[in-house]
Amino acid sequence: MAAKINRRAVLRGIAGVTVALPWLECMIPARGRAQTFPTRYAILFAGQALGTDNYAQNSSRIGGQNVTEGGHFIADTSYGRGYALTTPLMPLQGMENDLSMVSNLAIPFNASSSDGSAVPTGGAYRDFHGGGSSPLLSGTRSTSASFTCNGITSDQVIADLNDGQTTFKSLVFRSQPSFYVSGYSFSGRQYISYGAGGGNGARIEAQASPQVAYRSLFQGFVPDDDDDAARFDFEMRSRRSVLDLVLEKRAKLVNNVGRADEERLERHFDEIRELENRIGALPPVTSGQCFVPPDPGADPSIGGDHDGGGTGSVTPGSGYSDEHTRSRIFADLIHMAFVCDLTRSASLQITVFQSHMNARPIADGLGTLPGTFRPARWASVGGDLHEVGHNGDPNNRGQIPSSGLLGWHISHYAYLIDKLRNTPEGGGSVLDNSAIVFTPEAGHGLQLNDASSQNQTHSVENMVILVAGRAGGLNPGAHIDGSRQHPVRVLVRAMQAAGYNGNSLGDVSGTIDL
Amino acid sequence: MDPILAVESGARRLSQAELDNTLRDLLGEDTAPASRLLNEDEFRPFDNDYTIQQASDALITSLEAMAEEVAARAVGDADRRAALVPCSPTDPGDAQCFREFLNSLLPRALRRSVTTEDVDSYMPFLDFATEDNPAVENDFYTAVKLAVSATIQDPEFLYRIEHGTPGSTPGLLELDGYEIASRMSYLLWTTMPDDTLFAAAEAGTLTTPEGRHAEATRMLEDPRARLQLHRFHAMWLGYRSIPHTAELVDAFNRETSALIDRVILDEPGSYLRLFTMDETFVDDALADHYGLPRPTGGEGWVSYEGTGRAGILGHGSLLAAFSKFEDTSPTQRGILVRTRLMCEDVPRPPPEVDVDQPPQGAMNAVCKYDRYAEHRDQSSSCAGCHSLTDPIGFGLENYDNAGRYREYDDGLPECIIEGKGEIVGVGEFSSPAELSQLLVDNEYVDACAVRQFMTFAWGRPPTTYEAELLTEMTDSFRGDAHDFKAFMLAFIASDRFARRAQERL
Repeated sequence: MAAKINRRAVLRGIAGVTVALPWLECMIPARGRAQTFPTRYAILFAGQALGTDNYAQNSSRIGGQNVTEGGHFIADTSYGRGYALTTPLMPLQGMENDLSMVSNLAIPFNASSSDGSAVPTGGAYRDFHGGGSSPLLSGTRSTSASFTCNGITSDQVIADLNDGQTTFKSLVFRSQPSFYVSGYSFSGRQYISYGAGGGNGARIEAQASPQVAYRSLFQGFVPDDDDDAARFDFEMRSRRSVLDLVLEKRAKLVNNVGRADEERLERHFDEIRELENRIGALPPVTSGQCFVPPDPGADPSIGGDHDGGGTGSVTPGSGYSDEHTRSRIFADLIHMAFVCDLTRSASLQITVFQSHMNARPIADGLGTLPGTFRPARWASVGGDLHEVGHNGDPNNRGQIPSSGLLGWHISHYAYLIDKLRNTPEGGGSVLDNSAIVFTPEAGHGLQLNDASSQNQTHSVENMVILVAGRAGGLNPGAHIDGSRQHPVRVLVRAMQAAGYNGNSLGDVSGTIDL
Repeated sequence: MDPILAVESGARRLSQAELDNTLRDLLGEDTAPASRLLNEDEFRPFDNDYTIQQASDALITSLEAMAEEVAARAVGDADRRAALVPCSPTDPGDAQCFREFLNSLLPRALRRSVTTEDVDSYMPFLDFATEDNPAVENDFYTAVKLAVSATIQDPEFLYRIEHGTPGSTPGLLELDGYEIASRMSYLLWTTMPDDTLFAAAEAGTLTTPEGRHAEATRMLEDPRARLQLHRFHAMWLGYRSIPHTAELVDAFNRETSALIDRVILDEPGSYLRLFTMDETFVDDALADHYGLPRPTGGEGWVSYEGTGRAGILGHGSLLAAFSKFEDTSPTQRGILVRTRLMCEDVPRPPPEVDVDQPPQGAMNAVCKYDRYAEHRDQSSSCAGCHSLTDPIGFGLENYDNAGRYREYDDGLPECIIEGKGEIVGVGEFSSPAELSQLLVDNEYVDACAVRQFMTFAWGRPPTTYEAELLTEMTDSFRGDAHDFKAFMLAFIASDRFARRAQERL
């Protein structure tokens, strides 16, 4: 069902609902008011590096044969406009002028001391996976391997900026629903969004169920049919009535317990209150492009565990929950939420930090899964994503396997960009009013942990960030030399494009011009 | 508050497993909706550590989706609807029947007795049943559905919120019968109390040690108690999701479950037999897998005689746990023994060490023992910590990550495995059987089992403040000939089980 929201339907939905006046102004035909559109910000995250251990950027082993060949490392192209589409960028074919790539970025670290107190401003604690998160996503130095961001993340800065303007302050999604390593848990690897101040109390739990995310976003729309609308009204009143009953218990429960329990329960009730407020707030409408997308149905089933290793241990059926489909659905939802102005901030963690998702279904699907590309030299890659970085498959290692899988992550980014740029808004497209960031977890170069090995996957050197869109004067279409500047300077520029007035994030000030 | 008298407790949100089981027992829901729709629980190593639970928007929206889905199914099926509503409504607005339904559902869902005021608050749902609205097909069960949905989203259902009433000792709170019933059922069954346990709560017998002892004894005879003991051991000992084929995992689970059942429930006696048992439960295929004689009758107990195996450390389940790099990891196995069986802390590796890389050793040594040479080099910084772990793991190296005996490294006949191990500072061993004996003789596993069980029971790691209590409990466990069933019953019968203290902040 693709129920278009029109003025008549929305007005009918007003009965019994408080509607803020500014929302009504949105219904006035565009020519009657200034042509301003909301600016949106999204960050997509890939839990992998840009290359693998001990293989130079032009070096690979495919099907047991060593290959020396350029064009596979993501930034293996000249700077400026007209940059070449390397292997991981292939899904972005035709979108070269819609995004910029900033390469040669680096997070600082202390090569002479691995002590937590010795980490420089905006720098990384010298334990790669857990130490890299905070500086990369919040610009705040990490002092342990805990994965915790010590400051607010870029998406939440934009969310705070738009607080109260949209039904959803932000969308925080995760495609990989399970950690997959036998006997272990995510333990912090599943967070890329943190609210003000950072720390464990400020981490934002991602919605990992596409089915629930869909329902949460789009069941608030008033259907464009009298009977459907009456049924909708009944359902909304029922939902509110149920939540009201629960909320009425708040005082009685909370006043009756100790301080620690009070905090736990207050937080729970606060979230229910938020949910109820959203039911009351009808989604505003900004363009005729806004409609309820098709129901994605039940979630793909969740895959089992493996031992977190290479080809032999990551067996078929383990470590994969159809992250491909899950990512596509989340991209669909972010797209339509942006189009309908349900939110202006989104984060999508495609794979988690140190992801142990089974690489084989992806490797085998490249070129067959829609929107993906199979590199000319390619063979099925075994092991999990993390072990691919460490060359867990003896016959398929090095740059090409890594780039092929990075290309899969980028295919979701390309899918979202393509949808946004094909959605008209004013005289242009929704992408013209957006800043969409893609960042992998790692670069490729000097190892962070030992500060001596070269060509390593556990590296915060040679990092790359992609920024698509034309919001806030972004001028996409170039490959830019980051000159070893902090990657957060790219984020700050993208945040400014989305309306942020500051010039820093965490410890990091300044921008790289895009 | 002296922890010997009362232990701190906080509001615990039901884990995915607890929620799925509770919805099954309360509403007949058998689709494990919590596992499908809620985010994965963190295991530390148990799935119920309430100190890391944090409500979130993702949780609340998923809970609403889950509640609506489950409620719709509960009234959509004629049999389930009949089980849920104990009367036949005379009309859509039959208030008496609706009250009857609420009086049947609410005490079980909220796990307490309910007041008229509680029931009254649900009555407005009847308006949705009686509303004259041609657009919807509403009836009496519309209101039932909403009540079920509200109940599932009720924090009193989702959390175990304990209050208690002040007793004679300041700071000490005495739990009521229902709070005790919930403690017992979630500890022993991973689910809500059954009717008999609720009746005991109502009758007041659970506030007496004898009453709790009697009920717990009954509950331990229920198959759910077995499943819970299997779950507890699998989380504790790290084999809850080992990476082998479904058939092999199933066979391992049957083997290990049979041992747990036997030493705790079927032949109560020393729990130490979990580690020292001289026979194991296998079918023909698993016997062949291990190279043991086949059991008579296709499945049964076979002797470990002539092997280096004993107890659970001889099982494929445990030998598969903590494997790494497609092989056993002597370091990880050492960590398993130190942290899970000796309850010691093993320091994190220094950041310079890349634990994602298998050790290479000098000149890229071929044999595994040589590849771990640097870990042993006293002049390197590695030896300090690796001496805690690796010598333990190397004593188990003759057993691969599927529990099969091997004489040399996989595929490398030149790399003969010596299989000599040592718990530095404790003693030497050269097989799972000898390791187990060492852990038993030096009184590690009994003390550690108590600490692990209490971590699970309390839903959080014990505090240093509670160390004295753990020592006392371990002493009684030892004094009672290590009878784990008796230990659990004594714990539940103890005054402490029926009390709590407010959390200190």
